[in-house]
Parts: sequence; C-alpha cells; structure tokens
Amino acid sequence: MSDAVMGEPTPIISRKDPRYQVTMYRHVGVDGAWTLDYYSSHGGYRAAKKAIADMGVPDVIAEMKASGLRGRGGAGFPTGVKWSFMPPVDGRQRFIVCNADESEPGSFKDRYVMEDDPHQLIEGMLIAGYAIQASIGFIYIRGEYHLAYERLLQAIREAREAGYLGSNLFDTDFSFDLVVHRGAGAYICGEETALMNSLEGLRGNPRLKPPFPAQAGVYGLPTTINNVTSFASAVHIIDKGAAWFSAMGTEDSKGTKLYQISGPVARPGVYELPMGTTFRELIFDWGGGPSMEIKAFIPGGTSTPMLPFSDEYLDTPMDYGSLAKLGTMLGTGGVILIPKEKCMVDAMYNIVRFYAHESCGKCTPCREGVSTWLPKMYQKLLAGLGEPGDLELMEEMVTNMRGTAFCPLADACAMPVQASFKHFRPEYEYLVEHGEPMYPKRSWWQE
Amino acid sequence: MKVKVNDTELELAPGTSAIDAVFAAGYDVPYFCSQEYMSPIGACRMCLAKVGAPRQDRATGEWILDEETGEPKIFYFPTLMATCTTAIMEGMVIDTLSDEVRGAQNGMVEFTLINHPLDCPVCDKGGACELQDRAYEYGSGLSRFRFDKRHQEKHHALSELITLDRERCIHCKRCVRYFEEVPGDEVLDFIERGGHTYIGTLGEGLPSNFTGNITDICPVGALLDATSRFRGRNWEYDHTRTTGLDDASGSAIIVDARTGRIERIKAALNAEVNKSWIDDGTRFGHEYVDAEDRIKTPLVRKEGELVPVTWEEATGYVKAKLEGIADKELGIVLRADATLEEGVAAKALADHLQTGQLDHCPRPKASVLPEGDAARFTDLATADAIFVIGDVSEEVPAVDLRIKDALKGVSPPASLPHGVPIADLRLKERMPRKAGLLTVAAPYRVDLMRHAGRSVCYPVGGETAFLSALVKLATVEDELSEEEVAALGMPVDEGRALIERLAQAQNAVIVYGSFVLASPAARNAVIALAKAVKAKVMVMGPMANSYGLEAIGVMPSHARYSYQQMIRGGAKALILSGLDPAQDPSVAEALKDLELLVVHHHFANATTALADVVLPAKTGYEKDGTVVNLEGRYLPVRSAPVDGGQSEDFTGLVRYLGEALGVRLDGRSTRSAKRALNHLLAVDLRDLPDEGLLAKAKSRPLRRVSVKEQEAVSGNVLLVPSMVRPEFVSRNPQLRAAFGDVALCLHPDDADQMKLVGGERVRLSVDGTLRKATVRVSETVPQGIMLLPATPEQPVGLVSADLATLVKESSELEVA
Repeated sequence: MSDAVMGEPTPIISRKDPRYQVTMYRHVGVDGAWTLDYYSSHGGYRAAKKAIADMGVPDVIAEMKASGLRGRGGAGFPTGVKWSFMPPVDGRQRFIVCNADESEPGSFKDRYVMEDDPHQLIEGMLIAGYAIQASIGFIYIRGEYHLAYERLLQAIREAREAGYLGSNLFDTDFSFDLVVHRGAGAYICGEETALMNSLEGLRGNPRLKPPFPAQAGVYGLPTTINNVTSFASAVHIIDKGAAWFSAMGTEDSKGTKLYQISGPVARPGVYELPMGTTFRELIFDWGGGPSMEIKAFIPGGTSTPMLPFSDEYLDTPMDYGSLAKLGTMLGTGGVILIPKEKCMVDAMYNIVRFYAHESCGKCTPCREGVSTWLPKMYQKLLAGLGEPGDLELMEEMVTNMRGTAFCPLADACAMPVQASFKHFRPEYEYLVEHGEPMYPKRSWWQE
Repeated sequence: MKVKVNDTELELAPGTSAIDAVFAAGYDVPYFCSQEYMSPIGACRMCLAKVGAPRQDRATGEWILDEETGEPKIFYFPTLMATCTTAIMEGMVIDTLSDEVRGAQNGMVEFTLINHPLDCPVCDKGGACELQDRAYEYGSGLSRFRFDKRHQEKHHALSELITLDRERCIHCKRCVRYFEEVPGDEVLDFIERGGHTYIGTLGEGLPSNFTGNITDICPVGALLDATSRFRGRNWEYDHTRTTGLDDASGSAIIVDARTGRIERIKAALNAEVNKSWIDDGTRFGHEYVDAEDRIKTPLVRKEGELVPVTWEEATGYVKAKLEGIADKELGIVLRADATLEEGVAAKALADHLQTGQLDHCPRPKASVLPEGDAARFTDLATADAIFVIGDVSEEVPAVDLRIKDALKGVSPPASLPHGVPIADLRLKERMPRKAGLLTVAAPYRVDLMRHAGRSVCYPVGGETAFLSALVKLATVEDELSEEEVAALGMPVDEGRALIERLAQAQNAVIVYGSFVLASPAARNAVIALAKAVKAKVMVMGPMANSYGLEAIGVMPSHARYSYQQMIRGGAKALILSGLDPAQDPSVAEALKDLELLVVHHHFANATTALADVVLPAKTGYEKDGTVVNLEGRYLPVRSAPVDGGQSEDFTGLVRYLGEALGVRLDGRSTRSAKRALNHLLAVDLRDLPDEGLLAKAKSRPLRRVSVKEQEAVSGNVLLVPSMVRPEFVSRNPQLRAAFGDVALCLHPDDADQMKLVGGERVRLSVDGTLRKATVRVSETVPQGIMLLPATPEQPVGLVSADLATLVKESSELEVA
C-alpha cells in the first residue's frame, strides 16, 4: 500500500484495511434476513426515504455520478451518467429495469442478494426509479432462480403492505411499483436489448443500438436498465454518501464490489471487497488458496480471457483499467481457477459449448461460427481426429468471429478461445499430434 | 453531408446509411439481410466495412487535426461496421476495398455457406440467387468445413402457395420482417435458436393476402413459389415487365414465361405505385391462362355445333349476319379490364355500325372518376388522416399496403443514384403504428379494421344514409335524427371526431370503392363529404381499366342502351368480350332470341354455348396496350410470349371484322388506337415508361349516362369484392387450394339456423343465377346476411337469394 499523500487519505483497496465495511452482503447468510422486519430493523428503506423525501432528482443523480459507481453487470458504464441519459419527463411512461438474468458462468453474486436480501434490491430500484422518474420497475430474473423469485415476490408484497411500494411514497407524489418477470433460460437475455425483447414477449434477440434504451426501451418507451448489484450499491451510496463510496477503489474504479471465486479453492463463494483488491488477496486470503495445482484463472466470468496463474498476474488489482491493460476484462468479477491437470482444450470446449448453446441465431458469425463450426472443431480435436492445419483454421475462424457480430456474444466466445491459444497452444498442439490430451480425462468429483 | 467512399467523395443527405453511400459512390458491398422498403437489422454481417469519421474538439468545436497532414484526423471505429445500420456522419470515410475488409467479407461468406447445401444445380433460384452471386464475388471458392451440414426439412409447405427449404435458409430474416413490417400480418417467425434456428409458422398456412412477396425477397432458394417450382431455370424464362390487370391498382409485375406458358409472376418495382409488393391474387392468379379448356381458334355454329374456322371465315360470317340488322340494334360490350386500345376499337366499331349500344362491364351505377384530382398512392402513403369505406384488402390490395405505410409515418424514401435506398434507417422493426389516423367503415368487419384506430360497421346496404349522416355532421349544425344516428353505425361523438380529424388534417384522403359506387347518391354524398373536409379522394373502380374505359367513353349513349338492357332483349345482335351473362337462366332465355351472338372469350361457358360465333380472346398477359389505374396514371400493358393459339384482343377482332366490312377502323391495331387516343385525350401513349405517366387528360367523360336512383334495395346476400376473382377460381387450382373455393360467409347463428357447417359445398340461386360456393362461418358477418364474392355479371351490392334453392353438394360427388 502506498504512503498517504498529505491531507488526502489513501483509498481503501483491501478488505484487510480496517476502515473497510461490508455493506451489500452484510445480511447474506443471516437466517430471516429476507423479511421486512429484519430489513427495517437494520436501517432498511432509510436511503430510499432520504432520496425520495429529502433529495431532488438532480441531487440523486449528482450523488451517483460523484460516487463513481460503474455498472456491475460487466460492461462498467458509469451508473449516474446512464441515469442522466433519460429524456426530460414528457408524460410518457418510463421504466426502470433490473437485469437479474445472471447467467455468466462463474457469476452467482446477484442470486444471494435476491435470496437473502431482496429488500435491498427493492430499495435500490426505488431510488433509481425516483432518479429517472419511472413509476414502474421490472425485475427480469433468471428463470432458474426459483428461491430468489419466491423471496422477491414475498418481499414486494411486504413492501407494498408497508407502503414502500405503491402511490405517494414517503408522503410525496412519487409512485412506484415492481413487476417480477422470470426468464425462460437464455443467456442472451442478459444482454439489455434482448432482455427488453424478452420482457415484451418477443424472441430474445438483441436489438439495434441506437436507439439506446433511454430513448426507446421497453415498448419503445424511455427505459434504464441496471444490474442487481448496481441497485444494491445505490442504496449505500445514498445512505452513506458518495464520498464514502469513492474513498474505496482505484483511479477509474470506485467503491465496493462483489467478487466470486469458484473452482478448486478452499472457500469458494462471494466476497464483497473494495475495488482494486488483488487477485492474490481474493484467492489466498479470502478464498483460502487453491486446493490443487492451478495453471490459469479466468478473471471475471467465462467471457473474459483467461490469465496464467503466475505472480506476474496475481498481483493485478481487480479493477476495470488494470485488467483492460492485460487484454482482458473485469466482467462480473467471477474468478474461476483452472487446475493444471485439466486439459485446457477440454476446458475450453466446455465454455465454447455453452456459448454455442446460447447463441440466439440472429447474425451469421455467431450462428455459424460460435454455434456450429467452432464446437465441431473442438469435438474433432477431443476425439483425437485433429489434423495439421486445424489449429490455424480455428485461429482464423475465431479472428473472423471477433468484432464482426451483432452483439458481444460472439466476442464473449472468441476472446477466451484466443486467450487459450495464446497461453496454452502447446496443449492444443500436443492433442493434434498425439491424438490424446496432455492431461488425460479423469473424474473431478470431490467428496 | 460529405462522405468519402474509398477514393470517391460525394454529398448525401443526413440520415443516409453508409451502405447507400457505398452504392451511391458506385462501389459494391455484399448484403443479404437489407431489403428496400424494410428495416435494416445488421444480421447477415456481410456489408462490413472500415468506417471512420473526424471528431470535433468538445471545448472549441474545431475539428481535431492530424498532426502530420494538417487535415482533420479520421478516427476509425475499433471494429469493422455493418454499413447497413451505420448512419453517415460529416466527413465520414468508408473503406470497402482494403485487405482487412475483404478478408472479413470472405470470412462471412464462408460462415454463411457452411450450412448451406450448395445444391444450386437443382435449385430454382440458381442463376438468380443473391447468395450464389455473392459467393462468387466475395468468397474464396473453397470450403474448409469438413463436417455434416445441418439437416432440416427440404420441402416444407408453408402454405399451398409457398414451399420452404429450411436447409437453404441463411436466416436473413427478410421474410419474417416483411410480414410484420409490410402487411402487418405476423404469421412467420424464427423457431429454436443458435445453429438450430429455422423459419416456421405457429398455425397452418400463412393467413395473409400478401404472402408471395417473400419468394421475391428471399436471397436464396429457401422460399419458392409453389406454382413455378421445378418448372424451369431462371435463364430460360422470358421476363416481361407489364401491368397487372387483376385490380385497379396498376401494380407492376414481371411475367416469367417459358415455351409459351406463364410459369410465375413476380412483383416489379414501381416506387410510386406498388413499391415492390403485389398481392397473392395478382401473383398466383395466372394459372387459368393455361387451362385445358382454353379456346384457341375461332368457332362458328354450323348445324348446331361449334366448328373451328379461320378468323376470316368467322368475321365473314359475322359481316353477313350484320347485314340484316338495323342500326342501333347491335350491342358491343367489353369487360372492364380491357385496354384503352380495345376501348377505342370498340368505339370505332360502334360508330361505324351506328349503334349507341356500347358498354363495359362491370360498370358501377356511379362514375368511377373522382371529381377534381384523384389522390395518388403517394398521397395515401403520406396522409395524416385516412377514411376508408369498403374492403380495400380484397378490392385493391395495393391500397391496403400503402395505407399501412401511412400508419408508420415514414414518407417514401428519396431516390438515390442506385435507386431505392437499400437501408432506410428511418424504418425499424416493430415500429409503433399511428392507428389513430385511420378510420375504416364497411357493412361487415373487414381485415383492415385490425389496423384502424376507429372501425365502423354501418347497416348493410346503408352507404347513402351513412355518408349523408356524415355530410350533415360536417356541414350543418343540426342534431341528427334518430334514423340518421342509426345509419351512422357509431356514436355521434365518434362521427364528429372523425369529421374533425379529417378536417384538421393537412393531407386527408377518403378511399371508397364498389359499395359506394353501387349508388350515385352515396357517391354524391362522399364527394360532398370530401369537399366539406377538404380531402382528396381515391376511387377503387371494380376492374383494372374501369377508370380508363369510362374516361374515353366506352359507354352507352342512353340509359336504355346499357349492358343490362342489351342482354335482356334491348339488342338484336351482341358482341360480348370476356363476359358470361348466360349464367342467369332468364338472361340465357333472352339471348336465345338474338339474331347474332358473338362471344369473345378465353373459355367455353354458358354464353358460348348459345353463341353463333366464338372468338378466342387474349388474356391480360398477352395484350399490348394501356390501362389507367385508380390514380389516373397511364400504365403500359405488354404482351408476354404466351401460347394463346389464334387468340386476339379486341383490336384484333376489330381488325378482322373491319377487313370483312371493308373499312379501316381506328383501333384496328395498337398503333392506330394510340393515334386515336392521342387525338381523344391529348396524351401520347407511345413508349410509356415502366412507371407510367400521370398526364392531365381531358377528364370529363365524353358520355355520361343518367341513372335513375333506385328504391332502397333489400336482400339477404351481399355481393362483395374479392381479391381472388371467382370467375377464374376453378381454373386457378393453387390459388383455390390456398384461399379456398368461392366462399359463402355467414354468421354462426345463421349457419346453425340453416343447418350449415363450415366447409360444406352448397348451390344457391342468387338473384337468378345459380352460384356454387363453400360455406364459411364467421362472426365478422352481421346476422341475417350472407357474403358472396361478386363477379362481373353480379357486381357488388345487395341482392336476394332464394333460400329454398339451397342445395348441399356432398363432397363425395365432388371427388367423383
């Protein structure tokens, strides 16, 4: 940690920093935390009341901008700026939408917020709804999250009965209510425009941007879409102030974020850490260290290119800029460890198969490349039928897929494949040459 | 805005898409998903190009300059851009030729082809296929995909008219978008996802009047016109661009014929008329041309039998017979889709034989000519208030589509150097429609009402009362009487709101058709209404040249000389072209008393059975001439190379008959007819351009026929306009399979009472004529009335049917 500059406190970039407080995940894991009684006895709806009753709309947006919060869904667009994109109020219906279709492999942070602390999401949406002057909010929740769905419904009922949802909230003329919509199992519906299509009852295909959702969103009306964690962050930014939030993190990445770690590690799970925490701290201090020899790690969900598990990369701070410099992305912050003994080609096939299954079929490179040709090439290699030239063909194919597709799904498949070629090409070559993988297939089941 | 494409600089309007900039500059990029008149979606990713633009400094507003050159610095997008979904910007630079761009296009062709069967040698699209062309131009020529291709259904009948090959589909989504964006009938969508995606329907068939257009826009051979499937290769067809004579729209069509037979009809582009869309009646209704019972030689009755003869012998026979017939005793009648040239020929013949008994049929009781200028299709497409009286979707389906353009609120695109914009960025998928500007009124629920903000079902046969009540609302302060309120079919406030909407509109159009034309009083009322609210009018005449034949005066000189009188004993000799009045037994009796009956027709029918002379007639695809559409636009009719034997159009008939009579009549050839028309209309019709000519002609009809207003009619059958022409339906098997037989539509309660069920085949005497039909039960029909398609001999209107004559035909009989 660097020395303090005169007069300015050092930013908090480690959970080990005594000033650091856990906020969003404070109640997760506590039995009964999902009830309104519990939530309101722990300061619940204080922030919403503050925003709606005491602050003007511009103040709320200014506070969000000042906090430096960037969208927690993966792309990292500044949340306050996004809210300010909404057109002036003109009598048309406006919507706030929560993207709770968490489907990136390696990500599972939103699930526990909704299961154990659904009121936190409701409160965040109330604040956002007020900031953009929307009277209806949609929560588009991943279809598989059944418990979260039930808990959300229950929480919304409680909030309505207690007067936190409905008309004239906190004795103002602001009215707001929530609708929960379950997805039907499509990764692409986590993409905001496909999500809007799906919400409208249409096929889950991404839409053309522009127009952006703020201009023409759900049903062609002004709409803002944020991730669950962005809403949860908003609660604490309003409650504790932008300065508290921006005191954490690095230059371009402020505040606290939910990181996830999975794979062969002693304590897999979700950890709320200040932005700028290093991979090493997450993996060794909070995750308890790997339980096997590791050769690579995926920094933020499967769509982010992997990095070798070496000292060179482990001390990288987990923020937007540092990872971009390494040619990868922070994504959802879902770190996945890949053991040394796992065949990298097989591991990549697992990822590619996922994207192949999830391609919506709208555009050519994704439908024919991601969804058809690439998985067939992996099958061929893994069946021991690889031929000279196959690897070059795959590399060229992936290059043709990258940056040419309609939406980022093809890139999400192409980039990790490119990274695996960059760092682990010998494993591919070994497989082509010998017809069998460098690390033979085995059971990974652990008691 | 200045744009630079490769090394060509050009100036284009803001909002133009980058792909149009590329084509306007004379360069090419491949594309499959973009389609003129439809929204660009960026799905095929073929039109990728390297695109960049200069940037202005946010603080100063100055262009950021390149330090080396001192020119504005070009900031390129980080990835290649799909040009179809990219709007041009000031100073934009588009590169379509670099290795990077070519490499990406090549890669995209490779992706597109991996699951395409490449069965071009057996594919009907071969030789006219966008994918084939683009694969040659932009592909590598080699396939590196060494796996099984996707296997899906090869012969999926989407409907009776359209066959889908799911393996050939490249998922451009043109057809899916077409149905939502153009006719607004969402009947097709993608099913499944990723590599398994395919096109399909939810229910059976494609319930829309405009399905065939998807076979034109499919960039591969996935969607094929079932009437022409496996009939020939594209390079074997003779392509004849002409005007469809199926309805009064004057839609442009291309007739593809091979070895003397029409194999298919495709839509042609006429930006100001039908854009590039036609209805299914126009597209698939051509099979009758090749029917087995087509008459191909002249026939003369000898000893009670019709015997094949030459034209000379037939016309010689007619000449001899005419000698015994006094002036004014001969009647000449044309079908209302005859060309102007045929009209002139008929007039010349009538003048020569000194008879005033000249008419065309069907000719509504009221004039089909608008007062003042007719509204044009572009007026309709840009209207801010539209009031429709009638069923446009059946009567003139092209009008239906242009009304739906107006609902989108996007004006017709400006033409670019390469024609209609490939990607009009103003169009979007699932655009909100301005339904509020459209009001539809009809005596029963019509299809267009689904899209209308206000729908009115006025009492059957009540057009005059309905329109008069509206005129009263528009012009007089008085309250409406109880009867008038009933005639209005809607609350008075709604009527006032309609009047207000029309009156306040900048560009209001009132569209009416045969229901109004059936009564001169109703027609006068609608004209009065149009004047009161300052709206233009569009009149849908019953047939392709109703406007033109009335305008040049193919009309009786007196009401007692009308067609209806002629066939009921008014004439002693008749020359009938394209008509079959003897279906009515009472008319058949009257025709038997004629001294001479000459029938000029394609097929043997009840009237030819009584004829002394039968002359083979050309169909609308075999003629050369001119028609006038409902806008007053002169449009060229050109003959396709179809084997019609010795058939002639009416100009040919007049040529032969003139030779027999020893006179050179006007209209003995299209050349002489055009000369006569130039004299008559002051319009030169030689070498008409494809898109037609909107010329100011002498619009006053040369002959007007006064019609006595009849008593309020009553009846139990409403004869209605129909896109599928009932007189040809039995000889159009594919069209009949798709749209069903001639339908007798009735309300479920009436059906119960009459013990009829949907699908039953019945015979019924309607206004004296025995009509065969299939029962269709629908709640759109008011109780106590049955709907039956009108024919030329039984025009639109209310008539009586004798329910005692209703006979059910068992389906077994039909099979036998």
